[in-house]
Amino acid sequence: MIVPRTEEPIVPQQNKKDNSYKWPKCVTIVTSETALRVCQFATRHHKQGGNLKIYGQSSRRTRRILGVTLVSLLSFAAACGGDSSSDETSAPTESEAPATSDAPVDEAPVAGGTLRVGLEADVDGLDPTASALAVSGLTMAAAVFDPLFTFTADDKVVPYLAESIEPSADFMVWTMTLRAGVVFHDGEPLTTDAVMKQFEITRNDPLVGLAVRPYYPETGAVVKIDDLTMEFHPLEASQFFPSALTAQLGYIASPSWLDAVAADATLAQAPVGTGPFKFDSRTEDSMTKFVRNDAWWGTDIIGPVYLDAVEFYPVPDPSTRTELLQNGDLDVIHTTDTDQFPTYRDDPTLTLDIDEDGEEYFLMINTAKAPFDDIRVRQALALATDRQGYYDLFNAGEGSMADQMFVPESPFYNPDVKQDGNDPAAAAVLVAEYCGENPTAEDGSALCTDGKVNMEYQWSGPSVLATRIADFYNEGWSESFNVTFDEKSQADHIQEAALGIYNVVGWRQFGAENPGDDRVWLECRNIGGISLNWPRYCDEERDALIKEIANPATPEARTASLQQLVQNLHDSYAYIFMTYSSWAVVQSEKVQGSCDRVGPDGDSLVCRTNGRMYFTSTWLRS
Amino acid sequence: MSTQPISSAEINSDGTIVKKKLGIGFWLCVTWLGLMALIALFTPLLPLKSPTQNFLDPANGRPPYSPSWKHWFGSDKDARDVFARTLHGARISLTVGFAAITAGFLVGGTVGVISGYYKGWIDRISSFVFIVLLSFPSLVLAILLTSLIERSLLTISLVLGLLSIAPVGRLARAATLQFADREFVLAARQIGATNRRIIIKEILPNVAIPMSSLALLGMAVAVVAEGGLSFLGLSVEKGITWGGLIQLGSESSKTLEEAPWIAFFPILMLFLTVLSLNFAGDRVRNYFDVKETTL
Amino acid sequence: MRYYVQRVALAILLLLAVSMLTFGALNVLGDPLFNILGPVAGDVNNPESVEMINAAKREFNLDRSLPVRYGLWVSDFVQGDFGVTFSSTGQPPVSGVISERLPRTITLVLMAQFFAIFVSIPWALITASRAGKVSDRISTINAFFLVAMPNFAIAVILKFVFSIKLGWMPLTYTADDPLRSRIFQMVLPALTIGLPVAAVYQRLLRTDLITTLQQDFILLARTKGLSKWRILFVHALRPSLFSFITVVGLNTGALIGGSIVSETVFRIPGIGSTLVESVLRNDFPVVLAIVMIVASSFVIINLLVDFAYTLIDPRVRR
Repeated sequence: MIVPRTEEPIVPQQNKKDNSYKWPKCVTIVTSETALRVCQFATRHHKQGGNLKIYGQSSRRTRRILGVTLVSLLSFAAACGGDSSSDETSAPTESEAPATSDAPVDEAPVAGGTLRVGLEADVDGLDPTASALAVSGLTMAAAVFDPLFTFTADDKVVPYLAESIEPSADFMVWTMTLRAGVVFHDGEPLTTDAVMKQFEITRNDPLVGLAVRPYYPETGAVVKIDDLTMEFHPLEASQFFPSALTAQLGYIASPSWLDAVAADATLAQAPVGTGPFKFDSRTEDSMTKFVRNDAWWGTDIIGPVYLDAVEFYPVPDPSTRTELLQNGDLDVIHTTDTDQFPTYRDDPTLTLDIDEDGEEYFLMINTAKAPFDDIRVRQALALATDRQGYYDLFNAGEGSMADQMFVPESPFYNPDVKQDGNDPAAAAVLVAEYCGENPTAEDGSALCTDGKVNMEYQWSGPSVLATRIADFYNEGWSESFNVTFDEKSQADHIQEAALGIYNVVGWRQFGAENPGDDRVWLECRNIGGISLNWPRYCDEERDALIKEIANPATPEARTASLQQLVQNLHDSYAYIFMTYSSWAVVQSEKVQGSCDRVGPDGDSLVCRTNGRMYFTSTWLRS
Repeated sequence: MSTQPISSAEINSDGTIVKKKLGIGFWLCVTWLGLMALIALFTPLLPLKSPTQNFLDPANGRPPYSPSWKHWFGSDKDARDVFARTLHGARISLTVGFAAITAGFLVGGTVGVISGYYKGWIDRISSFVFIVLLSFPSLVLAILLTSLIERSLLTISLVLGLLSIAPVGRLARAATLQFADREFVLAARQIGATNRRIIIKEILPNVAIPMSSLALLGMAVAVVAEGGLSFLGLSVEKGITWGGLIQLGSESSKTLEEAPWIAFFPILMLFLTVLSLNFAGDRVRNYFDVKETTL
Repeated sequence: MRYYVQRVALAILLLLAVSMLTFGALNVLGDPLFNILGPVAGDVNNPESVEMINAAKREFNLDRSLPVRYGLWVSDFVQGDFGVTFSSTGQPPVSGVISERLPRTITLVLMAQFFAIFVSIPWALITASRAGKVSDRISTINAFFLVAMPNFAIAVILKFVFSIKLGWMPLTYTADDPLRSRIFQMVLPALTIGLPVAAVYQRLLRTDLITTLQQDFILLARTKGLSKWRILFVHALRPSLFSFITVVGLNTGALIGGSIVSETVFRIPGIGSTLVESVLRNDFPVVLAIVMIVASSFVIINLLVDFAYTLIDPRVRR
């Protein structure tokens, strides 16, 4: 099968002296417009205590590790917080056919066949403790790993790889029991030791660990009870603790594989988990193949897996992906390119599933840096933004504008909170007031010139679309702001965001099935040299709300707190919400049953989460 | 190279050579160029739509809008008026072309004349520098330099000017060499004229003729070079240029297929301008019977 | 003999000068520290960052003076070690990138050159023999048009007409395809480069031919009764070929420049498009390596053309 390669493959670096090869360690991240790869040539060293210390070697690694850290964090963040949701509540996804069955009821699933999946990017490794996984990575990971817990179609958290979990009365201790008799693809049994080992490795990873460390004590975070039972001791009470174990943190990998990866980082590309498929072969940037795991624990408990194999093809260009699907070279793809949506609708052989309950696209403002440390300026920017025009031009009528981090159908939606925008006159008033005070920066330079605020808008390029968007924003802002364009390379863009060296950037975030899981982007504790709280906005009230949300007195109190959180986000003016991300999964008519997933207790499971796909129930019509 | 190409000798079918005149084509080209120059100078004053405003018209569906009475050249994907943008594009493209060739002529011409007149070590050094500069394909050097600097109208013009120094200087030198040993120069020196006076009074007027006829051709090259740079995204930041417009219109096959006017109107303007410059320059060169001499 | 040695010495000197210029420009106008470390390079208040900055300086010899750095780079370069790319994407050694992409560009340039030569020679012959007639004038106008159209505009037009509207040519270049398909995919890009060059060749050759055709020995051949075509090919073309070959050789620069644009428009992963990408990414080692390769080939080809010329026409030797 011919898959166009629009990206050049990364080839290993050969050490001529001993003829060994070093694979680059790369991560793939989906940012506001593009998928991004950042790589380093380093063998992994396990870090102690979470400091960015590098053992031995050159500073190039230091820089690269920092670079990878920051870049990967975004991906991990996006993975963890951003795209782990689909049906937020009982809100229906905007699909033409009912989401649960694609075939006429009397058609029975047949076993066999290879499913060819088109992804928007490749990964460099599928190591849940270290690889920062975005949509494509999580889709692949879901095939070879099982999460400890998962979401049902009604948004409940149910055990999956775990058998059960019990909280203590005060929700400070969670006792989890693993399923008995589960083995990894390499024959190792699933035990408490495996989970604990993975937890520690994850916590110590400078990338992935940043989202784990603030929430657990230094010692005693996980305590073994017996071979299948353990206790989690988080720092704070959370009634929704298991939801954190439904994504990357919950994918359990074989301990011997983790050891092997520690010695040889290239093995991260050949994952060993417990999942319905196991690793078969891979050519980076070309194709990755998983074959059915006949020893899967879920075959008896959940149901049979029909597909013989799944092949993943990374195709970064959305139009090429569409072409391949229409030619029959691919069976299913995902995309956010709204330009293509009419094509899918018009083609009777394709089924289009659009998911808009997840993340939002917004403009993000660095509140720690002048002039945007002044809330008036932030508000002025929001008022000066032509949100309606952006939607009209760049969304092509798909999806909808976003006011906050919840969709209108969500019970947590706050109807009183509307995103400010499209009011240049009001913006001018605020700017006039601010500039009238002749504010200066730390180095003495004026923050206003000619009565307009000086600012930088940054994006990652080169990208014609991003430049068009920048030109468009400028059109609306130029009345009150002197906008400097700052087109950066992708890696620098992410680095500067994480280091807080930016004024305004476009970003995507939020949409966790459990909204409490989005706390990692919002709390004071997540501000640091590298900051997952990207806008660096610290508000004790907000932190208190977040604590309440994690441990509410009643469900109504939680709803009220979430709505207050939405108000708080609005009032901080650190985000200018623009649109809801539209993720589409498009299948050819051969593909059936992809949404018939069930859990161990028969619950119907979530089937689309922001572009992620699952294959346990999928079968191919011949 | 020892041949002397006469680029468009007017040769009749029986082999006789027709007396050269500038011809109507020349004047057509000059008219077009004059029009372009006026546009470049006065665009802000003309009653055009704003080139950056997004003329979203929900009644008309999604942009890009095809050419109509409202948008003479249609609109681009962001509902900006292509006509206004194309005319604005003339400003940067022509200004850079003009400034670049002017700088090139001034510097290159001066260096060439001086090294051709004085010869000796000045000549050796400048020749070597010229050859070094000519060892780069000019686009490569232009890309290299523009990537490192802050890209403003001035700096881009300087970079392109730098690139034109070598060919211009070489030509000036060759032309000067032709005249430097002629009798009238020797005579002037006998009388006691200073070198400076000789250069200005005797050499320059004679050199200026072949040089000026190359000015138009040089400007054509500069405009094309700027177009290439802006097509690759390396020209003036935040500026509207023909190359940039063409890039926007041709970046995706889909845009090119559905809305070819976005790319083709700037292409047309650019083509007509460069054609006029080339044709007019060729006519002038023909008229003055300038032959490209050996290095 | 002395002449050859002189020219070779000059060529080497030239290459050194080119490399110095490029290296100097990149290091003086650009900021290598920023390119290695990114924004961290400016983060001087953070002790960890300062540590990284100092380590980077040591590793990349940035604490030594420019001439020393240049010397080190040259000694690496001539041994074939182009270094590793700077950018944080950690790509493999530059030589790997280049060796993978250079053949494509060479193929493209050769195809363009062949096309240009094989189109311009008959074209020139025909128009020279019909000098002054209508067909000649039309062809002159065509040639003008081709030269006046910038190569990126030609690329867009060709793509629009042949790939999009007519669908005759494929839209993209696929690295995986078999050789025949890849050559076919390169036809439009090669045309983009080759067409204007063909026009230039044709104009020059035509003028040359006309001059030659006016000479006495042609008249003699005609009175002898030789056919027109035989005269053109055998007698008129040969003397004109000297300058033609020179121009062909010297035009390599234009072809390379054209390949940059052509590769970008048609998305062929050759060194032309890599140069543009690396420049936009501030990836200095790649930029340096490509510029040096391009300049070297330019210089070497000029040298060869010069030598060939002296062999053909000994009078040229100074």
